Amino acid sequence: MPPELWEEMLDALDAVSPLVDDVRPGLAFLDMHGISGDAPMWIAQTHRTLLRFGCALRTAVGANKIAAWAALHVADGSRCEPGAEGELLAPLPLSLLEIDPATIERLRLLGIERLGDLARLPHGPFVRRFGAAAASWHELARGIDRRPFVPRGHAVAIEASIFGEGRAADETQVFFALRMLLARICDDLERCGKRAGALRLAVELEDAEACTLDVPLATPTAHERTMFDMLRAKLEGMTFAAAIVGLRLQALQLEEGGEAQALFCADDLDPQRVAVTIARLEAALGAGISRAQTRDAHLLEERFTYEPFEPPPRAMLEKNQTQSELVPQLRLLEVREVPVLLRGGEPAVVDRQAVSQCVGPWRVAERAYTSSPLSRDEYDVVLENGTFARIYRQGSHWYLRGVYE
Amino acid sequence: MAALAAVSERQKAFELLRARLSAKPPALPVEGLIRTAIPELDLLLGGGFPAGIVATLEGNTGCWSLAAGLVARTTRRSLVAILDDGSLYPPTLAQAGASLERVLVVPVRKAVAIARAADILLRSRICRLVLMPAVALRDVVWTRLASLAHRSGVLLIVIATHAGAALQSAAVVRLHCVLERIITHGQRGLWGTIAGFDLCVDVRKHKYLAAGRTACVRVGHEEIFDAALP
Repeated sequence: MPPELWEEMLDALDAVSPLVDDVRPGLAFLDMHGISGDAPMWIAQTHRTLLRFGCALRTAVGANKIAAWAALHVADGSRCEPGAEGELLAPLPLSLLEIDPATIERLRLLGIERLGDLARLPHGPFVRRFGAAAASWHELARGIDRRPFVPRGHAVAIEASIFGEGRAADETQVFFALRMLLARICDDLERCGKRAGALRLAVELEDAEACTLDVPLATPTAHERTMFDMLRAKLEGMTFAAAIVGLRLQALQLEEGGEAQALFCADDLDPQRVAVTIARLEAALGAGISRAQTRDAHLLEERFTYEPFEPPPRAMLEKNQTQSELVPQLRLLEVREVPVLLRGGEPAVVDRQAVSQCVGPWRVAERAYTSSPLSRDEYDVVLENGTFARIYRQGSHWYLRGVYE
Repeated sequence: MAALAAVSERQKAFELLRARLSAKPPALPVEGLIRTAIPELDLLLGGGFPAGIVATLEGNTGCWSLAAGLVARTTRRSLVAILDDGSLYPPTLAQAGASLERVLVVPVRKAVAIARAADILLRSRICRLVLMPAVALRDVVWTRLASLAHRSGVLLIVIATHAGAALQSAAVVRLHCVLERIITHGQRGLWGTIAGFDLCVDVRKHKYLAAGRTACVRVGHEEIFDAALP
């Protein structure tokens, strides 16, 4: 079932009961304590409510989750009377309890095939043999369900918009409008005791075009200044073809509670500040800010990759105890062919510079079984002008790959 | 006549004293020194690079090796940004001990973009150290970067083959690296390795210390050196 459809169905079920336990897509329990009517009425109302979604629907009523779940397996619309749980559960298969197949097989070998068989086992020896989870299975098989009812949180939409109040043709006006929207959003967040993990800005232009900008925040916050900095940094890299006539700002990924703060945090790394700086750099340069990762590979160029830089968590960076060592640093140059003279099979003159020292070759053979096999011999050479370079021969051609600096 | 000669002597001695006093550099701020993890260089710099300055590493060979040591040391506790013109080779940076996950790699090639990126990074104060290649920028841009570095307390290291006049005047510390000798390990050819090199680093300019001091720094894997050197 698509998650969006399931969310819609759960929202619709709010009309039946305010307390809905969303177990997984396709299964939900409703707490009907205090709701007027009786079981047939509740079942009928649930069917009526979900009719418009056109899904096959099964409902049942029980005193607790396991009773309702068992009644559902017996027949659609059935009801398990209080006290009759054990009787109802006894003929049902073990798979009803979502026990793993290997354990079910073990139980079957012991002659336990129905929940009634399981309920009749002595509690202590059964738990000792099958572990802590077995205590819960044993209780469930007897119709005792201690699992808590966890009502789903109700989605709170926090958004603000400005439409039909003129047009903004320069960035100052847009930023002014954004500040107003942010002030409203932050007020609402504060009132609900929530923080936003992301913002979505919808911009409507005078020429009827519209665009949406998603702005993730490094850590969920309700801080207006941080949000404004992030939005401004993102907008700095954008241009709009026409004047802006409408703005809608939504707070997304809402989380409960406040933001952790430290008393002595002057030297702490603020991930929000890092995120704002990265957004500003990306807007100014039009390129992503990354961090490198090394990996095993034969070719020099393939021994590292770049991935987007992610701000570290708010806490002060842990001290890294890696030992530092002075190591010659290779600098990759634009690969270019260089003239090389050989003497005794070794490079003697590279790019019109005599070679004073040479080590190698180290053969690199890659993709031997593909249509484009690669084989090259690499050398480290010291030239008479003091350049310390990495060169390689591929076929009959020589190339300068980099210099050590 | 004798009195006149005595006055002249006293005046000369006074002039000499004044010259010596005025030549004495201002006191080096001990707080906020950024140590390089290279004992010879720290000694040369009176403890490390002062924070909040523009410093240059100049020369054909060795500048990036020294910078990598500095990056390795700085990433122990904070972030470092490298403005990369495409020539950065992270595996050797990692070999130097740098925590790559704490290094922001900013891909920039044009001079204006480099200046802009440095400007944003200095103002943000998210990194303690920013490394950039030397590019041709106007005096006023270098001055602005120097003042931003000063205000933010970030060390801006510029790596140059040769520093231009504008950069020379903006830099508070200028170090020049000269390759002394290459150290090889093993025989020539397939079984050989270039273990590293010896660098001669001299202080061409230092606001707080006398210039002209020199240190020798060995660059390379220690275990290979141990095997390579008698």
